[in-house]
Amino acid sequence: MFEARLLRSSILKKVLEAIKDLLTQATFDCDDNGIQLQAMDNSHVSLVSLTLRADGFDKYRCDRNISMGMNLGSMSKILKCAGDKDTVTMKAQDNADTVTFVFESPNQEKVSDYEMKLMNLDLEHLGIPETEYSCTIRLPSAEFARICRDLSQFGESMVISCTKEGVKFSATGDIGSANVKLAQTASVDKEEEAVVIEMEEPVTLTFACQYLNYFTKATSLSPQVQLSMSADVPLVVEYRIQDIGHIRYYLAPKIEEEDS
Amino acid sequence: MGILGLSKLIADIAPQAVKECDIKNYFGRKIAIDASMSLYQFLIAVRSEGNQLTTVNGEPTSHLMGTFYRTIRLVENGIKPVYVFDGKPPEMKSHQLDKRAERREEAEKELQKATEAGDQASIDKFNRRLVKVTRQHGEEARELLRLMGVPTVEAPCEAEAQCAELVKAGKVFAVATEDMDALTFGSTVLLRHLTFSEARKMPVQEFHLDQVLDGLGLKQEEFIDLCILLGCDYCGSIRGVGPKRAIDLIRQHRSLEQVLKNIDTAKYQPPEDWSYQDARRLFLTPEVAKADDVQLKWSDPDEEGLVKFLCGDRQFSEERVRNGAKKLMKARSGTTQGRLDGFFKVTTTPNPKRKADDDKKNAANKKAKSGGGGRGRKPK
Repeated sequence: MFEARLLRSSILKKVLEAIKDLLTQATFDCDDNGIQLQAMDNSHVSLVSLTLRADGFDKYRCDRNISMGMNLGSMSKILKCAGDKDTVTMKAQDNADTVTFVFESPNQEKVSDYEMKLMNLDLEHLGIPETEYSCTIRLPSAEFARICRDLSQFGESMVISCTKEGVKFSATGDIGSANVKLAQTASVDKEEEAVVIEMEEPVTLTFACQYLNYFTKATSLSPQVQLSMSADVPLVVEYRIQDIGHIRYYLAPKIEEEDS
Repeated sequence: MGILGLSKLIADIAPQAVKECDIKNYFGRKIAIDASMSLYQFLIAVRSEGNQLTTVNGEPTSHLMGTFYRTIRLVENGIKPVYVFDGKPPEMKSHQLDKRAERREEAEKELQKATEAGDQASIDKFNRRLVKVTRQHGEEARELLRLMGVPTVEAPCEAEAQCAELVKAGKVFAVATEDMDALTFGSTVLLRHLTFSEARKMPVQEFHLDQVLDGLGLKQEEFIDLCILLGCDYCGSIRGVGPKRAIDLIRQHRSLEQVLKNIDTAKYQPPEDWSYQDARRLFLTPEVAKADDVQLKWSDPDEEGLVKFLCGDRQFSEERVRNGAKKLMKARSGTTQGRLDGFFKVTTTPNPKRKADDDKKNAANKKAKSGGGGRGRKPK
């Protein structure tokens, strides 16, 4: 028996919004510690890793580890049926082939349940090694979303270069070029609005704007976003979800053509 | 050509070995393409109003049209193609080639009949059957590819075998051909329908040899014996043994020698002087150029050269050729998107068993699908 209850359904709704454009289907792996999801997009360029810890739920019970393959489009449709203030409960029997979502309104007057068929997915699982990154940049998530949106009008790819002066985002295309520089915030009044850069050595990498724009769908989950970069390895874009977990996106960089 | 009924057998018994993918997902991959197979497809499929495209003198140019535009399509999707051309056919194939010649004669007769009767549909049909890829077609295509900056490899013998060698050595990611015997030669990854027209919306089928062997429960040598039993290009097979019985026999007896000892030869007659051992040797150690000796180099397209080669007598539109050359150029400049699986290792492929159950349910569905690859293949 698996049961997970969240007082605020909005968290789950936002999580789905943050991944459903990138993935069409994914497996939710549930165990004692919580819910994990790891999946690559179809073209194997980016990866989503979601963790929702058991202690972040208002009630969490998982007798036996289960993996639930879900069609994220369908799941998103179901979650759209929940009000923001509703309580949501996910339930599944052991070895079940369906999962049930129960929504309860705050005053308990309305209770709705939706049952969804599970899928047998055979998806590749990637082992991601613990990595020390040369640069980590924390900035307001809305700022990052704005930069990605603005620069994607200029070109397909965006160069992110991080030096000790600050971080520079740039794009070049047919209409011209665009550069956005962010300097480290000098005095921190509100932590959420700060730009903080930790740097071992400068890094410059190129990424596809299209994917970054998919990632910024998670903006509403967290006021801050953290970018981690090292030369020649995938970028990590992390949004912390308060009190419950995080969502991490990995994106393979674009590589200069070696002449072969 | 190819192995009789192998793709259907795999789809039925080892469905997890076949994946359907979108062409977009192969960006950045180097892929070896069996050139004779694609030229053949183009000669058949690239037509206007049922007639081949020709030069002012009536020489066909369908193969050039196909090679040009479909290669551009691959390159635009970020794929790096290598074309592998056939060398001399192995002696063992002569029997098969004789048969093909016979069939051509028949088709020719039928064509005459149809022309006399004025039956347009049959005329088209037999016209297509008469299509043959000649030495000259190959030469022209190679010249075109050179101008496009796409590398070509001439195999000493069979192109599929050479492709397999390149894949095995990791020089390329996969082999693109319709011939299933690329698997018999040991290609680890085989792609079908890659060079099909975009308009047909046919997904690319990806076969993984290790999963095929796993699904069939065979080793590579046993798999080769199975293919010989199903019917290959190099020798005959036992009359009355279909795919189902073939897999059962190999699973039970594990080699053709044992199969021969154990079956009732009166009922199932093996061909006289059955040279299956030679065929097996040909699959195991085909005549190929060592992968290390093969240099693959992609270069810039030669726009003026292309215009000179394709326009004029061959009647290609200059504007479209120049456009094509620009597309090739554009795909070369700039950066290539990396892949995550190049950075992180795949650790598990969860629950294949559940998948198998699932596929059983869809089996009826699958069968209907796999039957449909008919158009654009060589006539048996």
